[in-house]
Amino acid sequence: MTSNIMGAGSGRVARIISFARADHRYVLLGTSVIAALGMELSSRPRPALSFMAHAYALEVVMYYLLAAWLVLAVIGLAFKVVLRGNYARTSPFTRPVVARALRYGSYAVAAMTSVLVVDRVGCGLASAWAVATTATTRPPAMLESMLYMLYNGRSIFAAGLKTTVALAVLGTVIAFFLALLLVFLRIQVVDRSDNDFVRFWKVAGSGFARAYSAVVRGTPMMVQAMIIFFGVFSLFKMTDLTTTQINAIWSTFTAGLVTIVLNSTAYMMEVLRGGIESVDAGQTEAARSLGLSQWEAMRKVVFPQGVKLAIPGLSNELVINIKDSSVLSVIGTFDLMFSATTVGGIYYAKFEAALVTSAMYLLLTMSATWLLGRLASRLDVKSVKLGSTSDQPVNVEER
Amino acid sequence: MNTSDITAKAPAGEFLVRIEGLRKSFGDLEVLRDVNMDVAPGEVVTIIGASGSGKSTLLRCINLLETPDAGHVWFQGSDLTADHVDVNALREDIGMVFQGFNLFNNMDVLANCTLAPITRKKMSKTEAEEVALGHLRSVGLEAFAHASPSTLSGGQKQRVAIARALCMRPKIMLFDEPTSALDPQIVGEVFEVMRALARDGMTMVVVTHEMEFARIVSDRVVFMDHGVIAEQGEPEQIFTAPENPRTREFLSRYLSD
Repeated sequence: MTSNIMGAGSGRVARIISFARADHRYVLLGTSVIAALGMELSSRPRPALSFMAHAYALEVVMYYLLAAWLVLAVIGLAFKVVLRGNYARTSPFTRPVVARALRYGSYAVAAMTSVLVVDRVGCGLASAWAVATTATTRPPAMLESMLYMLYNGRSIFAAGLKTTVALAVLGTVIAFFLALLLVFLRIQVVDRSDNDFVRFWKVAGSGFARAYSAVVRGTPMMVQAMIIFFGVFSLFKMTDLTTTQINAIWSTFTAGLVTIVLNSTAYMMEVLRGGIESVDAGQTEAARSLGLSQWEAMRKVVFPQGVKLAIPGLSNELVINIKDSSVLSVIGTFDLMFSATTVGGIYYAKFEAALVTSAMYLLLTMSATWLLGRLASRLDVKSVKLGSTSDQPVNVEER
Repeated sequence: MNTSDITAKAPAGEFLVRIEGLRKSFGDLEVLRDVNMDVAPGEVVTIIGASGSGKSTLLRCINLLETPDAGHVWFQGSDLTADHVDVNALREDIGMVFQGFNLFNNMDVLANCTLAPITRKKMSKTEAEEVALGHLRSVGLEAFAHASPSTLSGGQKQRVAIARALCMRPKIMLFDEPTSALDPQIVGEVFEVMRALARDGMTMVVVTHEMEFARIVSDRVVFMDHGVIAEQGEPEQIFTAPENPRTREFLSRYLSD
């Protein structure tokens, strides 16, 4: 999937590039934007670590070259306005030599601007980092302030990050196996050859799975976290254990993990059910016609195919858990969200702390998506032709 | 041994499958209305008829993929329609081939063939594979044993499906429009396999739209119309001198050939 989009994307980019290169007007128009950006960067205050500070004259020359390019673009536009219909034949800009010169000029403009980007943005970041790591109090500037908190609160952030990753990964893995069990209950249907005992358990199991899914998916995870944490806590209270002992056994991490597992199990069960139900009914019929029982047909034929169809939805669950574990800070689980609140409180800068945290969450979810994509292609998920087994798409529940 | 000899020798009343008063409705639609039919051992019966006449439903009732509303299906002396009968054990002896092949997509060709013998007949893996390779050889697909079903052509898939059913050593084979999903030029390769099966004395019930096959291979042709058997008899009689006007109408384009 990803590679497909990438493929189409790079194709489109290539088309745009060739289109722009073929016509000098777009060369002028596009590069004048780049030139303007370079000039803007050049007129910004120089960061402490700027290397262009040692080549001040060169930067002045670059600045005026960029300005000249803008003037050239304006002249080109003026020619176009004046000549209009005859532009292609009469304008000096359309002559091949000039067009080629313009193209080389555009490369030079791009090069100059990128030097300025490295100098102002790259070195700016490095300078801010240098300031942030040496400052004794939080610097007022936004970027330096964020880096200051990131640096000084690094142990807190690291602890939160670790907890979030542990909660999401452990929670998803445990929930996956529970969901496998639960979905077996969920999809039980009474078969002709079943005796009354089997019939009862099939109906009861399916009903339980249904009710579980409805309750868990119908209530907010934040509330569930509170009910689970405080509920079990008060159960422990009835024993002779002291609060300290209870906290050691029933930690906020454990309670958070249980909450995530309970939640994720319900959602993953529905995703698995969607996958299983989209396996063609003919597969079951063929298995049954060979004498396999319903259970055998399910286990050997339908289930492996259903799980494969459900893999995209299942892996999505890890990404969801990374993000949704943030609500666990309500019971005091020391996750990434909790560490953001903590650091923001220490340095009295909630907004900057939230920005740093969201960057971390984004980094986590993006790497999870990337890793799962790799895993999916490793498992050859793409080679499953959905059309060949069923016309129905896999039902993936959106939250 | 010639199959028609067996049929001829089979004494009256000896049957492998007996269908009695079979009724089946889907909602308000009555698909089968009082169907009675016997299949003798070694007999090849073709069921023909227009779409929606109930031929596929009748076939699927024989191994209970559809549950009849009323009536009985006897197979080897046991009533499949009785309560709490071990359908799975009975189905082991009834092979079925589907229009859509229905090969298991999550296994290779050999595993498709060995799944049921290993699971149901408790065969060892090596024994089951030996049997399966034998049947794959007989349908000319031994070389594809480790291929994935998705890489096969329609005709190859259907031949694998036949081999898969044969691995259970069924007493009877049901074919539900086995060539309807195939291109005309590869219909022949599947019929070749079926004809060889018939020559070996396999009892077969075939639902098909291929009149040529019905005429040449079958011992008896059953014409179904609106949920009842309108006419049945030897292929030559049905195709050359049909008695029922509905049969005549249905066959008119084939008779003119």
